Amino acid sequence: MTENIKLEELNRKEALRYLGYSGDTLDSTVKQLMDICEEKVLVLAKPRYIYKVCHIMTTESEINENHGISIEGCNLVLTGNSIEKHLKGCDMAVLMAVTLSDSIDRLIRVTQVEDMAKAVIVDSLASVAIEQVCDKVEHIIRKTYPNKYQTFRFGIGYGDLPILLQKDFLNVLEAPKRIGLNVNASCMLTPTKSVTAIIGLSDNPIEKTARGCQTCNMREQCNIRQKGGHCNG
Amino acid sequence: MAKGFKALLDREYVVLDGAMGTMLQAAGMKIGEIPELLNIENPQLLISIHEKYLNAGADIIYTNTFGANSYKLLDCGYSVEELVSAGVENAKKAVQNVKPEALVALDIGPIGQLLEPTGTLCFEEAYEMYAEIVEAGSKAGADVIVFETMTDLLDIKSAVLAAKEHSSLPIMCTMTFESTMRTFTGCMIPSMALTLKGLDVDALGVNCSLGPKELEPVIEELSRWTDKPIIVKPNAGLPDPKTNEYNVTAVQFAEYMKDLRKYGIKIFGGCCGTNPEFIEELSNMLKINGNKVIKQKTIIPAAVCSATKAVSVTEPRIIGERINPTGKKLFKEALIKGDIDYILNQALEQVQAGADILDVNVGLPGIDEKEMMVTVVKSLQSIVDVPLQIDSTIPEVLDAALRIYNGKPIVNSVNGEEESLNTILPLVKKYGAAVVGLTLDKNGIPKKAKDRFAIAKKIVDRAAQFGIPREDVYIDCLTLTASAEQEGVVETLKAVNMVKTELGLKTVLGVSNISFGLPNRVLVNHIFLTMALENGLDLPIINPNIEEMTGAVRAFKLLKGYDENSVDFIAHYAGKTFSKIVMDSPKAAGNVNTDDTGNAVLNSAEGINLEGEQLKLYNAVLSGLKKEGADYTKKLLEQVDSMEVINKVLIPALDKIGDDFEKGILFLPQLIMSASVAQSAFEVIKNHMANSNAAPVSKGKIVIATVKGDVHDIGKNIVKVLLENYGYEVIDLGKDVPYQKVVDAIVEHDAKLVGLSALMTTTLVSMKETIQLIHDNHLDCKIMVGGAVLTPEYAKEIHADFYSKDAKESVDIAKKVLG
Repeated sequence: MTENIKLEELNRKEALRYLGYSGDTLDSTVKQLMDICEEKVLVLAKPRYIYKVCHIMTTESEINENHGISIEGCNLVLTGNSIEKHLKGCDMAVLMAVTLSDSIDRLIRVTQVEDMAKAVIVDSLASVAIEQVCDKVEHIIRKTYPNKYQTFRFGIGYGDLPILLQKDFLNVLEAPKRIGLNVNASCMLTPTKSVTAIIGLSDNPIEKTARGCQTCNMREQCNIRQKGGHCNG
Repeated sequence: MAKGFKALLDREYVVLDGAMGTMLQAAGMKIGEIPELLNIENPQLLISIHEKYLNAGADIIYTNTFGANSYKLLDCGYSVEELVSAGVENAKKAVQNVKPEALVALDIGPIGQLLEPTGTLCFEEAYEMYAEIVEAGSKAGADVIVFETMTDLLDIKSAVLAAKEHSSLPIMCTMTFESTMRTFTGCMIPSMALTLKGLDVDALGVNCSLGPKELEPVIEELSRWTDKPIIVKPNAGLPDPKTNEYNVTAVQFAEYMKDLRKYGIKIFGGCCGTNPEFIEELSNMLKINGNKVIKQKTIIPAAVCSATKAVSVTEPRIIGERINPTGKKLFKEALIKGDIDYILNQALEQVQAGADILDVNVGLPGIDEKEMMVTVVKSLQSIVDVPLQIDSTIPEVLDAALRIYNGKPIVNSVNGEEESLNTILPLVKKYGAAVVGLTLDKNGIPKKAKDRFAIAKKIVDRAAQFGIPREDVYIDCLTLTASAEQEGVVETLKAVNMVKTELGLKTVLGVSNISFGLPNRVLVNHIFLTMALENGLDLPIINPNIEEMTGAVRAFKLLKGYDENSVDFIAHYAGKTFSKIVMDSPKAAGNVNTDDTGNAVLNSAEGINLEGEQLKLYNAVLSGLKKEGADYTKKLLEQVDSMEVINKVLIPALDKIGDDFEKGILFLPQLIMSASVAQSAFEVIKNHMANSNAAPVSKGKIVIATVKGDVHDIGKNIVKVLLENYGYEVIDLGKDVPYQKVVDAIVEHDAKLVGLSALMTTTLVSMKETIQLIHDNHLDCKIMVGGAVLTPEYAKEIHADFYSKDAKESVDIAKKVLG
C-alpha cells in the first residue's frame, strides 16, 4: 500500500528566502504571520504522490533510434541533451508526480482576498512544502530500492526537456485519476503547487553533476542569483 | 431503449462490467497510448473483451470511450464522433453476439483538465466537449450514458446538463472518493447526492480509487443521503506502488461486495484491476445470495450545499444578507466598477461571523445583472464553502447563475402569482435547487395569516406539480415594518407557525425590515428574531456581522437543544472557534511600542516634516498597523482634506517603504503589510468622499490581467495592491484572461496603462498575442509586463513599453505614465 506522507513542519528559512528576506532577525509581526500561515498550510495541504519505476533505453543507438530516451512499457520519449546527460549510466528511471492538492490553491485564493501579505507568505510556504513532500517521496524510493544509486530530481521543463511533455508524462502516471493532478492547455500543472520529475536509478555511483545556475532555465531572471545566492533547485 | 434501463432497475440487482484499461494493457497496449484508437484499429479486441464481460454476467457494458473527448483526442487522427461511434458499435456487436438483452452504456470520463478556478477550463467549454460525445454516442445507439471517475462536482454537473440537453437517454453518474470521504477537489458525499438528485439522474454512486472493503464508509454515508439507485464499482483493492498490481482476488472481491449489499446497492461492477473473473464471481455471488436486503427507507433531510459543504435545514441556519446593493453606496460603487474583491470581502466577513448560507443579490440599474451575477457566483464559490442563495427577480439571471452554481443552491424567490410560478419553478426543477416562496400574489401581501398560509399552500402544490419535492420549498411569510403596521407583526408570526406545523414546510424570513423607522433597531430586530425562531423560523435572513443577531440564533439553538452539550455555543463564546475560514489577525506588533495608556509611542520620522495625527498615520503605514492606520485617517479627515492626507502622508510613506524594499531593508510581506495599511486608509477616504458626494480619488486608470492560459496570478495581485495604494484605479481582469477582453477593458475604461503578467514560458505566447492585439487596435495605452520568466529583452521583443521587475517597479512605471 502507498505510504502516506505527512508534513510536520515547514522549512521557514527557505520560505523566507523565496520572499527575498536576507536579514538576521525577523520582526515579530512577520513572525506571527508566519506562524499562522504555516499552521494553515500544514492543515490544508493534502500531499499526494505517485511514482512509477521503469526501465529506460539509454544507449547511443537506442537514443538515436527513438529520438530521445524511451521508457519501457509506455509511449513516452524524453528528448533533449540535458535529460540525456542526467540519465547517463542509469538503467531505470523513476517518473514521479506530487501535489499538495486543490485545498492549497483555495487557501491561496482566500488569503489573497483577505490579506495579500498573508497570501505571499502562504504561497512561499506552500512552495517549500511541495519540495519537502518531494524529498519524502525520494526517501521512500530510496527505501524501496536500497541497492540503487539515485540522481537528483529532474523537473519536466528543466533544461531543454520540453515542458510540452507534461501532459503525456501525467498520462503515463495516470496522475489525473490517481492523485488529481492535471495540466492545462499551457502545460501548467493544476493544482498549482505540484511537481513532476524524473530520477535516474543506477547500479553504479552517480557522478555528481552540478544542478545549478549553469543549466537553470531561470538563470537570467533569478532574483536569488542576482543577489549572489543559489537555490540548490 | 430508455425502457430497457428502467426495466433493469426493477430487478433485484444489476451487474456491470469490469475494467477496460486493465484488459487493454494485458493485451499489449502501451501505457499512455490513446485506448480509444483501438475502437477503429482493432475492433475485434474490443468486441472480445466486451463478450467476456457479458459471458461473465454483465447486464450493462461500458463502451471504450472513457477519454474520447476533443481535448484528449487532439491530433490523434480521428474525430470524437468516429471513435465514439466505433466504440458504441463494438459494444453493440458484442451484445448481439452474446446477450441481446444486455445494454450498452456510453462511457464518459473527465475531460483531463481541471475546471476553473484551479484550472483554466471553463464550465461552458467542458459542457461543449461532453455534448459532443453525448451526441455521437446517442446517434450510434447507446442505451444509457454513464459519467464516471468524476472528482469535480461542477464538472459532472456540466456533463449531466450536456447529456440532458442533447439526448433523452438515462444517466448514471459515479464519482471517485478517497478514504477521507472526499474527492480530490474536496467534494463531499452529501453534496454529490443532493446535487445529482436535484439534476434528476437515474442512478448514482462511486467508482475507482479504493477497493470494496475500503469503500464501505463511503457507501454507508452515500446510502444515508440518497434514495436513487446506488452504483458501486470499486477497484480490485489497492495498487502496490512498486508493481502497480492490485491486492484483492476475484473471490475476495465478491465477498466484500456481498457485505456491501446491506446499504441498498442496486448496481454492482468493477473498476481498475478487475477482469471478467471478478465479474463472474460477483455475478455468482449475487445469483446465490440475492439482493433482497431490507433497507430502511432513507429519510433525507431538507438541505442545500456547495461542493464542499452541505447545510441541512434541521435546525435554524443563518442566511447572510449583506451581498446586496440596496441602500449601500459603497456596494453600488463596487458593482459599477466591477470590484469583485469588495464583494468577496463581504462574503468572508459574514462567514466568519457565523453565516451558514449567503444571499447573493447584485441587481442594480445600469449594470448587466446576468453577467455580474455569474461573475460573482463563480468568484464566491472559489473562496467560500457555504451554499449560496441566488437572489434576483429576472429569470434569465437566475438561469445563468443556477447553471454554473457548484452544488444545490436556493432560489430567491417565487411568489403566488401565476407568472412567477410558471417562470421560476421550471428553473428550480431543472437545476435541482431549493426555492424561497413568498406569500404574496398580484393582490399584494395578505393582511391575515390564513391568507398567507393559503398562498404558501398554493406554491408548494404547484411546486409538486413541477416535480419539486416539498422539503425544497422554503416559505417566507414576509416581515412587515412594525412602526407602520404594528398588528401585522403578530400575523407574520402566526403565519410562520401555521406553515411550519400544518404544512410541515421549512420557513425563511428577512428579519431586519421589522424595525425600519424605529430607534434602537438592533434591539427590536433581535427580539423579533427570537420570537420568530420560537414560532418555527428555520432560515433567518439577517446581518450576521451584528453580534446580537447571530448570538440570538446561537443562544436559541442552545436553549432548544439543537446545540448538544452547548458545544458550539461554548466554542464560540469561550473565545475560539475551530473552523474559521478567515484567519485571526496577528496583534499589532513590531516597530511601534505602546505606552501605558495603550497609545502608540512614535519615533520621529527621518526627514519628514509631519506632526500629530499625520505623523502617527505615516508611522502606522511604515509599521504595518492596519487598524491604527484607519483610525488616524478618520481623525485626520476631520482636520484636513482627503488630497492632503494622500499627498502629504500616504504617498510619502509608501515611497519610503518602496525605497526600503528596493534597498533590501524590507522584504515582500512587510511591503505588502504597509501597502495594506495605506489601503485601509484609502478605504476610509473613499467612504468619507462617498458620504460627502465628492468625486472619487483617482490618479488614473490601469487595466491589469494575467494572460490567457495562465492561472498563477499572485504577482499580479501584489501589483494591484500597490497600485491601488498609490491612488490609481485598478481594473483587475483576473487570470486566464482572453486577449479580446483586455482590449475591450482598455477601450471601455479609456485606460492609459495596462499591466500583463505571465508565469510560464508557455504563456508568454499569450502575452505576446495580447500585446499584438492591443497594437492592432491602435490603442493609446502603454503596456507594462512582468512575470517570473520574463526578461527586459523579451519584453522589448514582444513590443511591451515597460518591463517591470517587481511590484514596486510597476508603481514607478505608473507614475511615469500617469503621473
